[in-house]
Amino acid sequence: MTTRERSAQIDRELDASLGVFDGRMRDEQATIAGQRGDRNGGGGGGGNGAGAEEQAAGGAAGGAGGANGKNGEGGASGQGGANGGRGGQSGQGQGQGEGQGNGRGTGGQQGGGGGVGGGAGGGSGPNTVPADIPDGSDDDIVARQLREAAQKETDPELRDKLWQEYRDYKKNTG
Amino acid sequence: MNRSIALVLAAATLVSTALGTAGCVTHETRPQARINAIQASQEIPQDQLLDVAVKLFDENVPTDEKKMEHERIFPEVRKAEARYFPMQIRNTLEGSGQWGQVRVVPADAAALDVQVSGKIIESTGQMLRIDVTVVDATGRLWFKREYQQNADTRSYKDQSGQPRDPFQNLYSTFANDLLAYRQQLQAADLENVRRVSELRFAKDLAPYAFDSYLTQDKKKATYQVVRLPADDDPLLVRMDRIRERDYALIDTVNEHYSLFAENMSEPYTNWRRYSYAELEAEDEAKRSALTRKLLGAAAIVGGLVVGSEANTYAGQAAATGAIFGGAYAIKSGFDKGAEVKMHSESLKQLGESFQAEVQPMVVEVEGRTLQLKGTAEEQYHEWRRLLKELYENETGLPVQTPAAAPQPAAPAAPNSGG
Repeated sequence: MTTRERSAQIDRELDASLGVFDGRMRDEQATIAGQRGDRNGGGGGGGNGAGAEEQAAGGAAGGAGGANGKNGEGGASGQGGANGGRGGQSGQGQGQGEGQGNGRGTGGQQGGGGGVGGGAGGGSGPNTVPADIPDGSDDDIVARQLREAAQKETDPELRDKLWQEYRDYKKNTG
Repeated sequence: MNRSIALVLAAATLVSTALGTAGCVTHETRPQARINAIQASQEIPQDQLLDVAVKLFDENVPTDEKKMEHERIFPEVRKAEARYFPMQIRNTLEGSGQWGQVRVVPADAAALDVQVSGKIIESTGQMLRIDVTVVDATGRLWFKREYQQNADTRSYKDQSGQPRDPFQNLYSTFANDLLAYRQQLQAADLENVRRVSELRFAKDLAPYAFDSYLTQDKKKATYQVVRLPADDDPLLVRMDRIRERDYALIDTVNEHYSLFAENMSEPYTNWRRYSYAELEAEDEAKRSALTRKLLGAAAIVGGLVVGSEANTYAGQAAATGAIFGGAYAIKSGFDKGAEVKMHSESLKQLGESFQAEVQPMVVEVEGRTLQLKGTAEEQYHEWRRLLKELYENETGLPVQTPAAAPQPAAPAAPNSGG
């Protein structure tokens, strides 16, 4: 194996590992968003369907945003958000918005309404394995991580990329 | 005789004053002028925008139980406050728009560009006193200051869902001090802080590759950039990708603390409101008890003096009246003492009740952040290994790692080496 090929292989391992980490952070963020939604009136699906968590985790980026424009786009797609610090473009759903569930009533009452975005995300959800992907019984650790990351991924674009990584990796190591 | 009667009348007046006024003195709690954090009026250039990490505060709980009881410190409440106050500061800084990302991080987390540490000196419904220290990634001490504020009682009267924090003036004052310090720095200083922060992160993850870019004055605990890596350095590009994950981790941990503060806010505000009222009533009862005892004693002394000098029936009767009145005032002073005890007991019960309510919240947030720390450390360990392999593969240089050297923890995860 040439130096370049070896570097590419390690890079793929790194990609897979980063993908796994991203998935865990997204799960955690979705859990927090769900808890916040429950607290704010129990509204909002916060569900497990494709895209639902992603949307839940997006929202208005936490905090006031200020004049710096660093707090990302947030919004329904769950992209950007408060993540990235310095021009980060990881596109993870960050910063559960204060905008979720605006149901706090007066007099300390927990208002209704609001809740976390939830909603019916569309498209093929996580755990959907493309037809050309083998069953994975002969996966090594890297392939397993890539597969796991792709299966958990809720962002369709990122999920496609992970599956492509998986295909490339299998082709190179097969 | 006229002098005697005058003395007796004066004593009687004292007694009636003691009994009368002590019961209705009110302490005017004037609303405080509101201090707000100065808002950014123009966009700050990206390369001068500093991220701020507000670390969990030092709870400062005494080990001596008697002292703890005397100072009315409830350890679990303090634990909660050590997480709550940083979040209030974070929200104030973030809301000002003067800073980059502002996040609450565990006390042993790695440095972002600017890090704020605090120690709770006193926290009651009446008063908040904290010590705050600010340093930047280069190790420069910005300032170390004590802040204190009496509660703004308007917040306690506000029955709306989310009243302004009674100590918001303190957070805003701190935010404005922080801004004032930053404004006296040159643009080059700010850029340097960011650069050092990035290189410290890179150095922690791949010391063999980034060690030579920074020097550390161990005595002063300061860092200086020696040289800069090329923008297209492939290892640096990968490092940037990992740093994005580091920010994601920081954000997630911060979100846990944020949710915790939101959950705690309402019962905490109520606890502070009630304890404020009890503390005020206790202070009042203490003052009143003392006044009654002192004036009662004065009346008795006056009565005795007059009694010994009086040679008329009226004078003797007045003197006797003053003595009885004084005795009664002293007795009512002792009765007030019982009232003090009652308020004191009430404060204890309030504290214990709130402590029981907040304890599970603290346990939960700590559990979640520890779990995240574990996850992150695993991943960082793997990333370190992969970066090392890439470096060796691309440079052909073997990396010497001390066999017994402890593995530094994740940069942003709790206990990061930074």
